[in-house]
Amino acid sequence: MVSPIYIIAVLLGIAFLLGLFKQPGANFVRFAAVITLAFPVFVSVGWLIHFIIDPAEPFMVYTAGALPPFSINLKMGLEEAFMTSAVNVLGFFGFIYLYKTLKAQGEKAVVLFLVLIMGLNVVIMTRDIFNLFVFLEISSIALIGMIFFKRDLNSFSAGFKYLIAVTVISSFLLIGIGFIYYLGGTLNIDDFIANNNGLTRGLSTAVFLVLIAVLLELKPFPANGWALDVYQAAHPGINAIISAGTATAALFAVYKLLPFGGDLWLNIAVIIGLITFLGSNFLGISQKNANRLLGYSSIGQIGLLLAVMGFSKHLGEHFQMVFFALFISHFLAKAGLFWLSGLIAKDEIKDWAVLRKKPHLLFLFGLFVFTLIGFPPFPSFYGKWQLVMDLASNYNYWWIGLILLGSIFEGVYLFRWLGYAMKLEPEEGSSIKLDWEKIIPIAVFGLLIFLASYFTNEIFPSNFNINLIPVYFVLFLFVIDFLPAYIKNTIAIAGMGFYAYYIYPDIEQDTLRLVFAGIFLLGGILTMFAGYSVKGRRPGFFPFAIMMYAGLIGLVEAENLFQFFFAWELMTLGSYILIIRGKKSILHAYNYMLFSLGGAYMIFMGIALAYNGHTSISLEMLQTASFPGWAYTLLALGFLTKTAALGFHIWLPGAHAEAESDVSPMVSGILLKGGVFGLLVLFMAMGGEQAGEHPLLYALGWLGAITALGGNLMAVFQEDAKRLLAYSSVGNLGYILFAFAFMTNIGWLTGLTYSINHFLFKTLLFLAIGGVVWRVKTHNMYEMGGLIKRMPWSFIAVLIGIITLAGIPPLSGYAGKWLFYNAVITKGWYFQGAIVFFAGTIAFLYCFKLIYSIFLGQPKDKFRKVKEAPIWYLIPQFILMIGIMVFSARPDLILKPIGDLLSQSAYFPTDPLSWENVTASTNLGYWSGYKIMLVIGGMFVVLLAWLMIMSRKAKNVKQFNIVYAGERPFTPETTHYSHNMFAPFNKALGFLTTPVVTDFWNGVNDTSHAFADSFRKIYTGNGQTYIAHILAYIVIVYLILL
Amino acid sequence: MKYFSVEYISIFAGFILLLIGLWGIISQKNILKIIISFSIIDTSIHLILVSVGYIKNRTAPIIDGPVTRADAAQQVTDPVPQALVLTAIVIGVGITALMLSYALKLYEKNKSLEIDKYKSLKW
Repeated sequence: MVSPIYIIAVLLGIAFLLGLFKQPGANFVRFAAVITLAFPVFVSVGWLIHFIIDPAEPFMVYTAGALPPFSINLKMGLEEAFMTSAVNVLGFFGFIYLYKTLKAQGEKAVVLFLVLIMGLNVVIMTRDIFNLFVFLEISSIALIGMIFFKRDLNSFSAGFKYLIAVTVISSFLLIGIGFIYYLGGTLNIDDFIANNNGLTRGLSTAVFLVLIAVLLELKPFPANGWALDVYQAAHPGINAIISAGTATAALFAVYKLLPFGGDLWLNIAVIIGLITFLGSNFLGISQKNANRLLGYSSIGQIGLLLAVMGFSKHLGEHFQMVFFALFISHFLAKAGLFWLSGLIAKDEIKDWAVLRKKPHLLFLFGLFVFTLIGFPPFPSFYGKWQLVMDLASNYNYWWIGLILLGSIFEGVYLFRWLGYAMKLEPEEGSSIKLDWEKIIPIAVFGLLIFLASYFTNEIFPSNFNINLIPVYFVLFLFVIDFLPAYIKNTIAIAGMGFYAYYIYPDIEQDTLRLVFAGIFLLGGILTMFAGYSVKGRRPGFFPFAIMMYAGLIGLVEAENLFQFFFAWELMTLGSYILIIRGKKSILHAYNYMLFSLGGAYMIFMGIALAYNGHTSISLEMLQTASFPGWAYTLLALGFLTKTAALGFHIWLPGAHAEAESDVSPMVSGILLKGGVFGLLVLFMAMGGEQAGEHPLLYALGWLGAITALGGNLMAVFQEDAKRLLAYSSVGNLGYILFAFAFMTNIGWLTGLTYSINHFLFKTLLFLAIGGVVWRVKTHNMYEMGGLIKRMPWSFIAVLIGIITLAGIPPLSGYAGKWLFYNAVITKGWYFQGAIVFFAGTIAFLYCFKLIYSIFLGQPKDKFRKVKEAPIWYLIPQFILMIGIMVFSARPDLILKPIGDLLSQSAYFPTDPLSWENVTASTNLGYWSGYKIMLVIGGMFVVLLAWLMIMSRKAKNVKQFNIVYAGERPFTPETTHYSHNMFAPFNKALGFLTTPVVTDFWNGVNDTSHAFADSFRKIYTGNGQTYIAHILAYIVIVYLILL
Repeated sequence: MKYFSVEYISIFAGFILLLIGLWGIISQKNILKIIISFSIIDTSIHLILVSVGYIKNRTAPIIDGPVTRADAAQQVTDPVPQALVLTAIVIGVGITALMLSYALKLYEKNKSLEIDKYKSLKW
């Protein structure tokens, strides 16, 4: 191993030598610097590998021929090796990124860069506090020298503010160090910690000065305006170094010095860190300047890392991996984002729409955003999980709440930004200049994220045991994204088919899981068929579709809560990208993501509360949850955001309606069942029918009933076919919630029947309408009409779909109804039941509107030549119709095993339903799907035959051949009454659809933005104000500590 | 009379200078005056550090002539704070130079040395 002292020697030596070259040698100077910067990477990474393979004692470098505390010593242990590796890798790639920029700056800039990297290395390694001060100053001077690079007014003024702020801070540091030496008798960090256990009054003031100064170097909120200005003004290549490099070194300096202050300062670190995380992210939500926003985010992340250091006692042996996971995410993603910003070279976040022209860069942008927020499979997801679980074990719920709240604010601006980049139209003539020296560092850091994810998964406790096969399959689909769509579609379908075969033996016994696995995988395959009608490559579609399905099936497979949450977030990520692919989906996908984030954090918080006092994170742990009231409520609310219960439903209509034709059935028929499955897991944990009188269930029952009414009412007044179906989903999920909330055997059977039905008919209807929309290119039903002649197959599909939806015999919707009445009567929820019944009748209205407006009435001129929907849309529809027919005629095939499973399980032993072949009976009556099918089928055949006989003499006429009428219409529109079809009804009940919920959430949104906007005015831009902030910060913290 | 000895006077003076410097940084609008305030702070810190290392009735920590290597420990003041001050002076010069060059650049761009004129970055 090469002694780390050579890092300093080589960097400093070469920096001096290079300073001797004059301008003509600039090319050589830069080249030599690249080679030089590779050297520390080699040394520190070598040490890192050494320590990972063989966790040996740290290596010490002694200087000046004396032992510490009489000399300065450097330490190289696992932590130092990791941090210096990070800084040096960043230095190497950061230099490559700046390669061309540095040419204009001359050889002195190169020298500054080398000195900066050298300084950061020493800050990390040194064990002498004065030495630390000196090298903090050296790296600050080098850094502020580099802020010059842009040579414009903004960078000069920002650099000056930064300089005076850092100088004030270091003055306090120096005074503190002086008194530490005077009162503590040593400058050596280890020596001081070993010999000064009880702090005297004077010494604690000295420690206060030192620690507050190093904490201020981390730019704590709100004393950080000086840093924000630099982030906004400096060259993005420099910002990457500040955010990922100097912040790293300063963070490690804090880590070394925190033990000076004992437990008290650990708590202070937590408070300062979390205030920074929350405050910085909150102010970020109304920020529009890309670099400044990254600055806010960067400062926030450093705050979180500081808090993690403060939590080190609670984290115990997990501290290193939590810190690693959160740190590496921030480090890689933030450097990558700043570098991307340099490539785009525009100020506003809206300008990032130009990324649409370069899908690979857009991919990297998304990768960085998801890494920062903490989505699986990225390291920060693991880190946040472990952090929250360990905090929960120690009753630190308020802290968890703050962390999650801060993360939501972070999501608010990061996803708005990502949405802009994916969906806004790039400005005319804007383009990205692809400089290879700039692309390479970004791409390398993107790759490193995957490497770090893999490594994080390896070092996390073995009971997490994530099944990564689906994740690898998704990665594989990214790799082959250059292939034509039909090949990828085939591969995707084959993959899902294989996976269904692969997991079947595992869940064969568990009928409940089997049903959901069937909906997710077989249903998924059906919806993928429609994708064959897409020509071209369809870039980026398949990986995310498969990611959503991987998440859904992961829910079914999950054996513990970590796996469950992992799958839940994977599903969210995939579905978000699928939804945002729609043409007008930018706002809806954003809403979806925010509700999903909020929901996910509620689930997370619920799990954390329940986990207290447990050692296992298995699903069964929820049965003995601590704080059951809070935990169950939070979990239920979290799941309800996905099932779009009233109050959380506002994202759904737009997201489902504006999605691509074949995505709508995926996200409506299938994705919503993910939330349902979550609710089932929760309800089972609550104890099945013993928990029947739980107040939460009573509340959820009401919520379900009101959602059913509200969703259906809103569906009635839609003119957009897909929006109608989307609102109908809201209503249907209300039924499902209502049925499961009964928490009785038959209630659950009803809920499952509804779930299966909803999957069948909603997928069918969305596919059918999607096929129609594919041809007619509009969603507005009143623009269609009379399409029955042109699209008979689609008509049949819609007809079957609405018969099932409306619960009309003989199809399976009626099975749901029959079970439902039994369940309501046995449970005794008559009033709520009546509301749901009323909602069911409202459903007739929109069902009629759907089929009448589109297929009946008068065909419009422009659609006279329109063709039947694509065959790839029709095939899955017919498979679904066969499914409906089978389920209608033989419901016992599915319902009997489920009923058996429910009554044999510990959850629902009371089984009022008995099966005799196809006939189900309760003490209220009996019902046989098969017989009803025969009776109704017979009636249908008889009536049809009679009609055909009666009308055999009828004569076919042209559309306007209506000579017996009093007047002659000239256009089809005048005879097809379908716009605002239920106007009188709207007059009577329309007030119920006033968008109070939308208004409420808009209010929340506007209020928080207004607050953030007015609060950030404290950053006046005046350097002196910033100094005053710093001084006030020091004084206030001191007074609090007195 | 203890508080009128040189180490107390110098440390007291050091803190007074520190406060004057901080006051200057916050209240002065002219960038050059702000930089001068920083120099005052520098000086104040040096004074404080040296006073902290001073031991009464001892001489400078230079082993030469009257102070022999053998009894240096009994005769000289603590050398460490003085070494720290030396280093701090060097750093202070570097920082001051950097500040002045920033002041120069700012003046070149905007022909003004009023710090209030440089508020284009904010929020």
